[in-house]
Amino acid sequence: MTLPELDDADVRAILDAALSSGGQFADLYVEQRRSRSVGVDDQRVEDLVTGLDRGGGVRVIADGRTAYAFTNVLTREALIDAARTAAAGIDGRDRATIADLRTVQPPYSHPARRDPAELDGPGMADIVRRIDEAARDVDGAVRQVGATYGDTTQDVLLVNSEGHRHTEHRVRTRLAARVVAARDDVVQTGLEAPGAAAGLELLDEHPPDQVGRRAAERAVLMLDSRPAPAEDMTVVLAPGSGGVLFHEACGHGMEADIVAKGASVYQGRRGDKIGSDLISGVDDATIANAWGSFGFDDEGTPAQRTVLFDRGVCTDYMTDRLRADELGLARSGNARRQSYAHLPIPRMTNTYILPGDDDPDEIVRAVRRGLFCDQLGGGQVDPASGDFVFGVAVAWLIEDGELTHPVRGANLVGDGPSILARVDAVGTDFDVREGICGKDGQGVPAGLGNPTVRISRITVGGTGA
Amino acid sequence: MSADELLGVLDRIVDRARADEGVEAFGLDETETTVKAHDGAVESLSSARRRGVGIRVVSDRRVGYCYTVDLSDDALAAALDEARDNASVGTPDDGNVLPGPRPVDDFDEDQLYDAAVERVTPDEKVEAAIAVEQATRGGGRHITGTDAARYGDSVRIAAIASSTGVRADYRRSDAYLLVEALAGRDGSTTSALGLSMGRSLAELDTDATAAEAVDRATRLLGGTAPSTARLPVVFDPFVTASFLGLVAGGLTAEAVQRGRSLFAGKVGEQLAPSFVQLVDDGRLVGGPAAAPWDGEGTPTQRTVLLEDGVLRGYLHHVASAVRDGTSSTGNASRPSYSAPPGLSPTNFYIEPGTTSPAGLIADIDTGFYCQQVMGLHSGANPITGDFSVGAAGVMIRDGVFAEAVREATIAGSIPQMLEQLIAVGDDLRFLPFGGAMGGATLVVDGMTLAGGAQGDA
Repeated sequence: MTLPELDDADVRAILDAALSSGGQFADLYVEQRRSRSVGVDDQRVEDLVTGLDRGGGVRVIADGRTAYAFTNVLTREALIDAARTAAAGIDGRDRATIADLRTVQPPYSHPARRDPAELDGPGMADIVRRIDEAARDVDGAVRQVGATYGDTTQDVLLVNSEGHRHTEHRVRTRLAARVVAARDDVVQTGLEAPGAAAGLELLDEHPPDQVGRRAAERAVLMLDSRPAPAEDMTVVLAPGSGGVLFHEACGHGMEADIVAKGASVYQGRRGDKIGSDLISGVDDATIANAWGSFGFDDEGTPAQRTVLFDRGVCTDYMTDRLRADELGLARSGNARRQSYAHLPIPRMTNTYILPGDDDPDEIVRAVRRGLFCDQLGGGQVDPASGDFVFGVAVAWLIEDGELTHPVRGANLVGDGPSILARVDAVGTDFDVREGICGKDGQGVPAGLGNPTVRISRITVGGTGA
Repeated sequence: MSADELLGVLDRIVDRARADEGVEAFGLDETETTVKAHDGAVESLSSARRRGVGIRVVSDRRVGYCYTVDLSDDALAAALDEARDNASVGTPDDGNVLPGPRPVDDFDEDQLYDAAVERVTPDEKVEAAIAVEQATRGGGRHITGTDAARYGDSVRIAAIASSTGVRADYRRSDAYLLVEALAGRDGSTTSALGLSMGRSLAELDTDATAAEAVDRATRLLGGTAPSTARLPVVFDPFVTASFLGLVAGGLTAEAVQRGRSLFAGKVGEQLAPSFVQLVDDGRLVGGPAAAPWDGEGTPTQRTVLLEDGVLRGYLHHVASAVRDGTSSTGNASRPSYSAPPGLSPTNFYIEPGTTSPAGLIADIDTGFYCQQVMGLHSGANPITGDFSVGAAGVMIRDGVFAEAVREATIAGSIPQMLEQLIAVGDDLRFLPFGGAMGGATLVVDGMTLAGGAQGDA
């Protein structure tokens, strides 16, 4: 299915209504999304849900204020009505004129090589069954398996008063396995959840049985874990596992809306040396078919690679149109929205710590006592202070350069600038994970990546003696 | 779209049901406005209108689901066919049944909806957001700014119809003020929320919302990592609400049936002191989640989970109730048309005590007043209830607030926390953390507070 037909005259009429109260800029965002998902839980295939959602929103900006109205009735009349509602929230002086409309092609595309539609309902159910079976085969201690398969196909039309018309077809596919293992009184969970801005080729790279096995192996491994110690330690982050820490503790504070509000610990620090020489990090929406990639952001700015930290120096913030103007910065293509029902705000795309020069094995061997984090759980950060806390889902104790035994219940407590400063080794390896980042009540797909990274000292909160 | 028009759409779907299948249609029509203010001016105003339907088909004990926002006859017929196709894929289960109608008694629907909400002009909404932002900003010399200052309101019309005879609708209005105060001193920055909720603007309290955010943010200034100790911890209502979200999740029958609940097999056991009552009440009209019926049309009810500290049962929707041979407690949840009914608490709360928070604090020689927890939903094991979370707050010394604390962790377990509860404050209020959770100030004895400083834990 495609978006409803809106010709140039319709679009101009909508934008004209939007600007009627003196708006300086207006745009129309129309989206159609087909979603499909199925789950297996307790060996039952259930919740095969498919559906169509679509809607359009009209945004008007004047004097730094934004008014937005959306509807999911996609007729010319309903959209003009929404435009008038938005206009009523604006009292501007410099009404923009609408430029001639011209189509702008996205600079990057992330095509699905295999359209998810090739897979029918029974095929979807088969995938989650395979995850379930593979997980159960790992060990008799596996008690519960929950698995999901999901895909979304999103068509976006974006037209603004500057005359730019963009369209983009975005496909995302994801698998997830959550396994509960139990032995005696110990109960542990394991998670594996790969995804991509791609189609069914995801299944080639991440076969369902492998996804199930990995989640189960993590849960079973943790059955033998000991309670984590509570002390300051050296922490080594495994490839892929540290991306979420960087995303939360450093990335959010580099988003321009948080900076503009004075709520970021990184405010006013562009050009400052904050981290160790070894640490460089980027936000990159251009990586082919990565989970957080796109061609255009959700207000039509081309996808970009933005350097956040260059050898420890705080470089560029991530902006949308509004905050770029407000802060006098370039648009970095980080305006994202969960759906037509949300305003675009600065968000990360794929946020990666870049590989360094150190041998990953050596990084661990040089640690006398520390924590090796193979998988972090969720985390939370206060961008104003940079303070964060992260649960550690899978970790090992490092003693005299060796991983000795798995530990559970650890969390990492600290603040972003300090950990950047305490990075003392960065490996040549690299891996990624995929997540959904929540901010202002909006969830968007976010890619997370890192090599092996060692932090000389971090507070580990644990329950062990 | 009026409730009658929405029901008309649902009727057209249900009328197509075949004799050998059950068809349920759930529709939502929502309008909402959100105004964000910053620096004394509107930052953004968003207004919305959204509607859609979700169709659940049950046949041969299998269930399938499809949703659409295209309400044309052709699109509805196609969605019904798709839901049928989806049903053919699922695993047969005795729990896959549609409930029949049950009467909703003694529920005052007028209290769910305040028509005044629709008479509030856009200008008044803008003023409300600016007012709470300005009041917060003027909250003292340490306040450096605000974040997320907003007014929001919504009107939700929900309707349901099924081939088993369910046919109902309701309308609910909601309004809130929310502000996050930023405070700073000597290079340290703190932030905290203030919140007010009601059925319309008139029920919201601007000054109290701002003062709450200001007091909570200012109190945390200058925090340092504490040394490790075992001591009584006082949870403020926000933190209590966060923990209750975790507790309520474990009290759903689905979590129990699927081996994911720390409360499995504990019905009849004394889990908390006898002064503790945990209640879920979808009929509590002042509660944010109040509704006459749940996501499957089952009447909501008051369900006592912990009665005098003893576990009495779990929350059910129809499927979990069938599996347990009991009846639904009206806890099928339906946040949107795009998802089949889930199983969630409604208004879930701890019954308040009679002592004020100040009175509880005055009784503590050395303790920790915990005002923020971070990472609760990642740092907690939902199955064992073990948790270790980041915390910020204030030390209590000789019954009064002393130095602020940050970069701390508290560790323990939900069962241990329930057992070691020593008092509940009289300050019950509902907060939107993990549902509509009614938190009050709690005092829990003997918890471990750990800091970055090396301790003896």
